[in-house]
Amino acid sequence: MNNFKPRVERKHIGTYRPKIESLNKALGRTKYIEDITLKRNFPGLLYARFLRSPYAHAMIKDFDSTRAEQLPGVRAVISYKDPEVADFPRINGSWTDGASNANFKLQWFPLFRDRKILDNKVRCVGDYAGIMIAADSEEIAEEALELLDIEWEILPHSMLIEESLKENAPIIHEEINPDGNILPWDPIAGPFTAEDGERVATFAGEHDVEDRPYTPVNKGNVDKGFEESDVVVETNTRYSDPVHGYLESWSCMATWEDDELVLYSRSYEADQTRLFLSEMLNMPINKVRCISTYIGGSFGSGNTGEQPFFLLCSVLAKRTGRPVKFKQNRRETFEHGRTAAIQKCKIGARKDGEIISLFMSQLGDAGAYADLSPAALGIVPTEVAEVMCYHIPNIRFESRVVYTNKTASSCMRCIGNIQANFAIMAGVQKLAETLNIDPIEILIRNFGDHSPIPNFSIKSALEEGAQKIGWYEKKHKPGQGEIYDQTKKRGIGVGIHNMWHTAPQEIRRGPMQVTIWVNPDGSVNLDAPTVETGTGSNSCAVFACADALGVAPESIAWHSVIDTRSSMKDQVQTDSAISHILPEGVHVCALKTKKKLLERAAPRLKVGPEELDIENGIIFSKKSPEKKLTIKQLLEGGDLIPIVTNVSHYLPKEDSGVPFEATFIEVEVDTETGEVKIINFVIVTDMGTVMFPPGAEGQMIGGQVQALGEAFTEYKVYDEHTGIPLNFNFIDYKIHTSVDFPKITAIPAEYWKGNGEYGACGIGEGTLTNTPRALSMAIYNAIGVSIDELPITPDKILKELAKKTEWRER
Amino acid sequence: MGIENTSINEKQSKTVRMTVNGESCEFVVGVDLDESETLAHFLREHLGLTGLKVACDEGACGACTVIMDGRAVFSCMSLAIEADGHEILTVESLKLDDPLVQAFADQSEPGYGTAMQCGYCTPGFVMNAKVLLKNNPEPTTNEIKESISGHICRCGCYSAIEKAIQHAAEKCRGGENL
Repeated sequence: MNNFKPRVERKHIGTYRPKIESLNKALGRTKYIEDITLKRNFPGLLYARFLRSPYAHAMIKDFDSTRAEQLPGVRAVISYKDPEVADFPRINGSWTDGASNANFKLQWFPLFRDRKILDNKVRCVGDYAGIMIAADSEEIAEEALELLDIEWEILPHSMLIEESLKENAPIIHEEINPDGNILPWDPIAGPFTAEDGERVATFAGEHDVEDRPYTPVNKGNVDKGFEESDVVVETNTRYSDPVHGYLESWSCMATWEDDELVLYSRSYEADQTRLFLSEMLNMPINKVRCISTYIGGSFGSGNTGEQPFFLLCSVLAKRTGRPVKFKQNRRETFEHGRTAAIQKCKIGARKDGEIISLFMSQLGDAGAYADLSPAALGIVPTEVAEVMCYHIPNIRFESRVVYTNKTASSCMRCIGNIQANFAIMAGVQKLAETLNIDPIEILIRNFGDHSPIPNFSIKSALEEGAQKIGWYEKKHKPGQGEIYDQTKKRGIGVGIHNMWHTAPQEIRRGPMQVTIWVNPDGSVNLDAPTVETGTGSNSCAVFACADALGVAPESIAWHSVIDTRSSMKDQVQTDSAISHILPEGVHVCALKTKKKLLERAAPRLKVGPEELDIENGIIFSKKSPEKKLTIKQLLEGGDLIPIVTNVSHYLPKEDSGVPFEATFIEVEVDTETGEVKIINFVIVTDMGTVMFPPGAEGQMIGGQVQALGEAFTEYKVYDEHTGIPLNFNFIDYKIHTSVDFPKITAIPAEYWKGNGEYGACGIGEGTLTNTPRALSMAIYNAIGVSIDELPITPDKILKELAKKTEWRER
Repeated sequence: MGIENTSINEKQSKTVRMTVNGESCEFVVGVDLDESETLAHFLREHLGLTGLKVACDEGACGACTVIMDGRAVFSCMSLAIEADGHEILTVESLKLDDPLVQAFADQSEPGYGTAMQCGYCTPGFVMNAKVLLKNNPEPTTNEIKESISGHICRCGCYSAIEKAIQHAAEKCRGGENL
């Protein structure tokens, strides 16, 4: 048991207690959008379904919808031929993470707007194909889709990066690149601007676009670095393409109330959904009302916020005069996921383990659309170079992203970092072995942010984790450990990575808007708008308010429904970072509220306000505690007007560096079956302030369901010849359940501290980062063969073991 | 399953009788429910019992679990007409002071995390655990793992869920009623 002890003792933040909404969730009373948008609540509700492409690459030359329209219960058919659809501008599918302002032209990736709403060209099996039908039931809509008479032109397709790069490869996006399938380089990813138009916080990789396209990082001179090195190691790795696997499918329901559009959606950015709709439909913002609430798991999927069904349901609802709903079926939830990549890493170092040159190249598979793949492989590595490889003098990271006819890759939890870590740490592992130096020494010696080496956070996390798992007692030469049960061998692996979403990294969000009302009976309404996806950010906001104001969390009502008609700007749940970002604003707002209460109470208690404090809703004199009154007593005799405080709080801009995370894994590999069993798993996460320990531990432990999934069992399978996906369901796509899941030891830590009251960081993403690589290292340590291609499966292990044995026998 | 009580040929006129959360109800096939309608769809859409969730819609995740005659069933894999003559309990039947509900809600024991994050799978796990503890008041950790192995918690709260079920079992042994 690791009972975490906070650096600063607070009454609620940093303590072990239940989530604020846990009782309702256990009782099944929490309403998700899917539970609200029922026909019994919205009589006349229609259900919309898309035509989905049966081909990997094709064109609808023409179609006849007469038979479909004649089917009883069909209410509307819209297609690429309709002017209201044809006029929509192309989008990128990534509005959310890049939207820092209301201007579509200033969003991220202006060069990658490759999604046409209801395109008649399709680019993967299951792609949205040109036509959408609204009917009285989903079944009728599906049946009507079958009745469409479509003239297809089937085009040649490419299911592999290697094929897409060939000279005669089919061109997948003529409008983006008429000559090939490589995405053009978009070095700045569009400007990040604050509300005053000032450019803030770029990921300042050193670009020289003219000479070196596709090079997000180019620092010093890597070639010269390799020449000066005593040893140079090279590794080739390959990352796979898992999916989010959220349980609640994307859904939305559009309805018109007079000239106002109301959109209910499973979107974690009601505010930005409103911007998107107003921009696309050419409507003023105050005529678009977006409603979002609790979300049944996101894992990065919410960042693809420009959903075509938001628009099309709105159009269909207008046309039919009835509410129109769309919900993804399970197969459709597989239409985005992680960017797979072919990777190379080359490291040059001195004999003593000092890295002087680091090269990484990634060739990524965007699938059918760019979405956030350019961010994953282009932007993230610049951040990794800046905050983790700061002291390495020569660095060059190259990345190219290629279209194929697979489903699109996009944003997924731990975007880009998990791929970069898998490649770079493979090099570190090889370097450690070549130089016969403990990998922990290499990590401490070389990595860190701008603070001096050894980095305190890295060193502390590694030391704590090593001690916990027994690193120094258990480590041995690859494949040379003890043998258990005649066929089993054990090994141990380690990895580190920077955490992210510290305050300065989140500055482009602009200020937090928070309002606190203290009602005449002393109860509190907290408007800290965000949609809770499960990270515990709502609990953190309430606990921060309780701590700063001096009231019980039970007396604070936090609103789970974001309604753009009444709410302020909401904080997009792109990360568990909201668990610390939002509380920074809440803290400031609560302190201001407290000041007002104390000033009002001072004359009643006949003392100066500076002498007063509040605890449990009781205002009292610190000098003479018998002088006291409750907030209720203070306010109830008044005029029923609540005390209202509103703040727009900017996060501190000063660079405070980042904390790090260390992961240790011990495995037992059965050399006869290739089966890998995890026997020890320790994760140490430095997060500045542990805002909500059971939530943090939940992220650190729970994230491993995804991390181990992508390491072992989760990847998309296609029939290469037709491009038809073969495992887009939860039976064939294997997610870990209780019997597969090992015991994880989570150690939340506070070595580092950022600026602000809490100075914390996001942890929900970072928690996955080290796992696939540390696992691969542990397997190598156990059996002496390296599996550098994800997923790690028993057949690959046996194949590599067989190669090694043959070589020895020869 | 009650399929033997249901003559599929007697279309339109057939009445389905079931007890839902203690109330006996009568539904007319073709009017209140369709023959091809799943129990999950019927309970959610027709009766508004939205505690159960339809996540995978193919019997792979357990989010739609309800109790039929004391057994945990995937309501997305059962037809509504199959519930004819049977007793259905959904998560809505559970009281605020139910020891399982309390144990799931309260789990914050250090080292395990919370028993739910997004909460979408939670009602399914709770209903499964209800049946487990009725049949086996003192389950071992392995028995708990085995029992919930048909459920997916994508947020990864398995070890906290196991803890919560253990705590609920302790509460029951201490005299609380399941």
